[in-house]
Amino acid sequence: MKLSEFIHPGSLAEARKALRGLGPKGLPLAGGTALHFMQSKTPVTAVDLTGLGLSYIRRKGGFFSIGAATPISDIQRYRSPRWAMHEICRRISTHQIRNVSTIGGNICRVFPWADLPVVLLAMNARMVIYSGKESEMGADEFFSSQPARLFRGGDLLTSVKIPVLKAQHGFGSVKAARNAAAFSLVTIAALLELDGTTIKSARVAAGSAIPFPKRLHEVEAALVGREAVTDVFKKAAAAGGTAAKWNVREGMSADYMRQLAEVSLLDALERAAEFARGRVN
Amino acid sequence: MTRTSHTVSFTLNGEKKTFSTRPDEKLLTLLRREGYRGTKYGCGQGTCGACTVLVDGKATYACLYYSMQAEGRKVRTIESAGTFDKPGEFQKELIAAGAVQCGYCIPGMVMSATALMESEKDFSDEIVKEYMDGNLCRCTGYEKIWVALRRVLDRQEAAPAKKPATGKKTSSKGAKK
Amino acid sequence: MNRHEKAKNFKQVNHSVTKIDALQLALGKDSYVADFVPNDALIIKMLWSPHAHARIKKMDVSKAEKMPGVKAVLWYGNVPRIVHCTAGQGFPEPSPYDTFMFDRKVRFVGDRVAAVAAETEEQALAALEVIKVEYELLKPVFSIDEAMAPGAPVIHDEPEAHVPIPIHYEPKKNLVAQVGCEAGSFEKGMKDADFTFDETFEAPYAQHCPIEPYVSMAQIASSGRIVITTSTQVPFHCRRIVAQTLGIPVQRIRVIKPRIGGGFGCKQEILLDDVTAMFALRTGRSVLWQFTREETFRTGRTRHPFRVRLRAGVKKDGTISAIGLDCINNTGAYGGHGLTVVSCSGGKTLPLYHCDNIHFDGKSYYTNLPVGGAYRGFGATQAFFAIESVMDQMAEAIGMDPKAFRQLNHIRENEGSPIFAALGEGREGTPMTVGSNALGECIVQGAEAIGWDKRSDWRGKTGRFRRGIGMACLMQGSSIPDIDMGAAAIKINEDGSFNLTVGATDLGTGSDTVLAQIAAEELETATDKMIVYSSDTDLTPFDVGAYASSTTYLSGEAVRKAAADAKRQILATGAEMLGLPVDQVHCEDAMVRNADGSKKVSYSDIANYSLYQKNQYQIIGTASHITKKSPPPFAAHYAEIEVDTWTGFIRVLKYVSTIDCGTAVNPTLCEGQTEGGTLNGISYALTEQYLFQNGRMMNASFADYHIYSMRDRPPLQTILVPSYEDTGPFGAKSVSEICINGPAPVIGNAIYNATGARINEFPFTPEKVLAAIQALEKKK
Repeated sequence: MKLSEFIHPGSLAEARKALRGLGPKGLPLAGGTALHFMQSKTPVTAVDLTGLGLSYIRRKGGFFSIGAATPISDIQRYRSPRWAMHEICRRISTHQIRNVSTIGGNICRVFPWADLPVVLLAMNARMVIYSGKESEMGADEFFSSQPARLFRGGDLLTSVKIPVLKAQHGFGSVKAARNAAAFSLVTIAALLELDGTTIKSARVAAGSAIPFPKRLHEVEAALVGREAVTDVFKKAAAAGGTAAKWNVREGMSADYMRQLAEVSLLDALERAAEFARGRVN
Repeated sequence: MTRTSHTVSFTLNGEKKTFSTRPDEKLLTLLRREGYRGTKYGCGQGTCGACTVLVDGKATYACLYYSMQAEGRKVRTIESAGTFDKPGEFQKELIAAGAVQCGYCIPGMVMSATALMESEKDFSDEIVKEYMDGNLCRCTGYEKIWVALRRVLDRQEAAPAKKPATGKKTSSKGAKK
Repeated sequence: MNRHEKAKNFKQVNHSVTKIDALQLALGKDSYVADFVPNDALIIKMLWSPHAHARIKKMDVSKAEKMPGVKAVLWYGNVPRIVHCTAGQGFPEPSPYDTFMFDRKVRFVGDRVAAVAAETEEQALAALEVIKVEYELLKPVFSIDEAMAPGAPVIHDEPEAHVPIPIHYEPKKNLVAQVGCEAGSFEKGMKDADFTFDETFEAPYAQHCPIEPYVSMAQIASSGRIVITTSTQVPFHCRRIVAQTLGIPVQRIRVIKPRIGGGFGCKQEILLDDVTAMFALRTGRSVLWQFTREETFRTGRTRHPFRVRLRAGVKKDGTISAIGLDCINNTGAYGGHGLTVVSCSGGKTLPLYHCDNIHFDGKSYYTNLPVGGAYRGFGATQAFFAIESVMDQMAEAIGMDPKAFRQLNHIRENEGSPIFAALGEGREGTPMTVGSNALGECIVQGAEAIGWDKRSDWRGKTGRFRRGIGMACLMQGSSIPDIDMGAAAIKINEDGSFNLTVGATDLGTGSDTVLAQIAAEELETATDKMIVYSSDTDLTPFDVGAYASSTTYLSGEAVRKAAADAKRQILATGAEMLGLPVDQVHCEDAMVRNADGSKKVSYSDIANYSLYQKNQYQIIGTASHITKKSPPPFAAHYAEIEVDTWTGFIRVLKYVSTIDCGTAVNPTLCEGQTEGGTLNGISYALTEQYLFQNGRMMNASFADYHIYSMRDRPPLQTILVPSYEDTGPFGAKSVSEICINGPAPVIGNAIYNATGARINEFPFTPEKVLAAIQALEKKK
């Protein structure tokens, strides 16, 4: 990406004003890592969002609130009871990227292999968007298509709210990749709400070997109302094979990706159940 | 480098500096142009770690960081890590362990390890590997780099007034137990 | 006393002295090519072919020449058309001359089209965009089968293509080279066998991935000569080939090799220097050309992909009655190394096991894919995958433990092989018997380290995660006998220090340190008294360079001989100073002394005497060395792995590399070579891969081409098993290449041991592993 200007706005309002004025000639920058790979003939102005106090993790009521400019490494290092975000964050790219790349950058312009959208979909996170005033949007709507659509007018993501998991909640995420820093082949995240041993509700999402991260409703339907046991998980995972269009990745066939997704689904569900049983944190 | 009106000011290895730059100049290019050539170009894609510097104490790929992002921050390069007379502790161990083969990755390794030593108290294997996973080496198989790093970390942990580590660890002998 | 115990008495050799450039490199001091580039150097950028096979109908660079900052443009219209070979080999090369600085034809995605030198990188890139090229697309050739097919498109149809020595070359058939030999009767051996095998294996593309990409700088000295500072393994070949390609005398060129950021073979190629030199000549300016990582993957040299058909016969008593090795490789668009790599696939592997009836046939073909080059292991890596896989199959057929089967059959000390004489590099080989061989001990020690005794048959294994243990035995060579030459010079300074100048090329291996140890041992002084300089074509003696596992064995012996030459002079002057006959003095601890030590004089005093005081002269030793043998290092590798039988993912739990490299001149550096090569081999076996679309390599970044980080590295254990090679310096032979040959067959055999699935093609991607397991389950 060619940059013609680089500005450090002093406030959220200033940043929004600048981006509104610039239109397609402006781009918000947090970690900035993605900008280096974006192709454009015409130079743009980078609007640096890192000085706006948007880097924090706080627990407020029933939510963890993560500032949009919080680097992934901070999320990885954060610890709190019933906190599960670090599991996927430690699997994202390399240390240096995790230090710079932010949650906002990761989810406002989604690459197909991105891991965080999958987790946020399963977690039923809420995105806080600033458009002069703040409003909230649920993950399902936010990730219904490329979220970049929401920010063309200069609006900005300010934070991500993640519901604090309750005792009966279980969460598991699985990322299958060729090595530690590689992009994902298949990422799966599963949130189970148990009532005793019965699954009361389920949110299961997938990403990477499919065109865009999404929830797998067929998998969820195969879980709800049933016992949280391996046989049920297996059947639900098998439903995942047909619940999405799996793509070729890294020279491996779509059919292999489907099989890998089914096993990853099973693993994620088992982890979630274990989490709920309190054995994993 | 064509002159423009853009400048960036940051603390470089403890000294306040102002450089002329351009909005899309990478920090790596600026540093090398200004004589801080210990920071290496290896991929330009934010993957190999040869250009690792510390920005506000955090290991950062200088090839994937616009110079103007550093405005007002503290940048440290390998030039701050040691001298011929007084090499840094990790540098000494790297040399003693025979971990420097072609050496091209080593400055970046040193900077990542510096961030690790300054930020963490728990040097379990898992955390160490997470801090070092963005620095590629093709010569050594990491075996001797690991041994050198473990020696420094074990000493730090053994130093008084440090919290004992909780995670799993191998000895500084690496796999050769 | 075992011969290898001689090494215990050495004072410099066989000690892990500190690598002499380690501190400088760890501090980040200016060391590599790019560190010496002035800020006002012109930047070179190349327009690469987007097509795999095309003729350039029209090209217009006029607009580019007028772009801001542009100082020169090079294309086929304004450079000499001189056919040459980019492989940095001896002269005349055993490789086709099939390359021009720029040509009217492009032969792979990433081939040169036109180059720009401009004040800034942005200006150079902008100028590339306005170069107009009109291509006539030709049918591309993307596989060995397509290349061999009758009527296949001819990739090198230029009339100039030829080989400078009489070897088989048929460019009209895309055939780069053919070589073969037979010992005994392969046919009879197959008939005599109780069990026979006929298996075909595929070894894939890979890139060396030095962390320093290819980089070259050229400048015009005040004298008008061209000075090329370049990241090369072959400075002298570089000088010769640049002179040839530009049509200028060797005398006009100086090549300086500073510290190198890794090579592993890929920098045995003259890929940049003709262009940087030409731009320097045209502009009079300093010019820099540094490949991006993407260019290093697409245009840089690669490992030759091989298809290996292995036929073998074994008798129930464990006798291998026949081995037939047919290797076909894909050289990509240019044929450098095409003959030598396929020769090595037989020559560096077949002598490993006793067999009276051997057939070998090797062929190399052009394709419109990335170009093969020298890569650590060089042909042996690819062939050993086949041989060591079939060794396990033979053992199983006769109900013998794979380790015992290898122990029964491997070559011993003082034994020869008809292959040594039959297969050389571009000509017949050199007859040879193996002088040093600790393979037997390597097998024993490695087996103990991995816990071979706990290995159990795959048929008893159940569950999702299954463990397996695999092994392989390996050999390589040490230098190219009768062809490679290394030379060294050593002179004394006033304080008893020495300047050791060598053409041998330290590319990050530590060879400068190793050579200093050898010189110090011979001279009875300390290694830190050596000031080593390598390499500079104006200042250092000739050496073929760093390839074919030659530096320690070949250049090391040249250094030892040069040191011995200097030592004779030191003894003569010392004796003169002490007033003793020369046969009554000897060197010890940097002094010349008599037997009881009552009379002695230091090297420093000898230097001052000889330089300033009486009968003045420079004590300087020089020597050259060629080898008559290429003694193989030997190795046994073992690994324990865990297979996820549901996904096909493999985890290496432990890897053991043993190595017999003769005397380990510097044990720590020998371990380092072995650890690095082994890990490279592991990721080659499991995760490294060239993915193509219409001939274009699609994963040209470390994000998509997976080499291992510290987080991925499995525990590696290295065991140096000593032997003593009488023909090498202080008992040494080579160490650096052999280790990369192990992981593919070792892991392949371990997958079999874990699951019963045998996979003849790597990398062992999760998909291949899962498919093989599922195919096996279907058969049940």
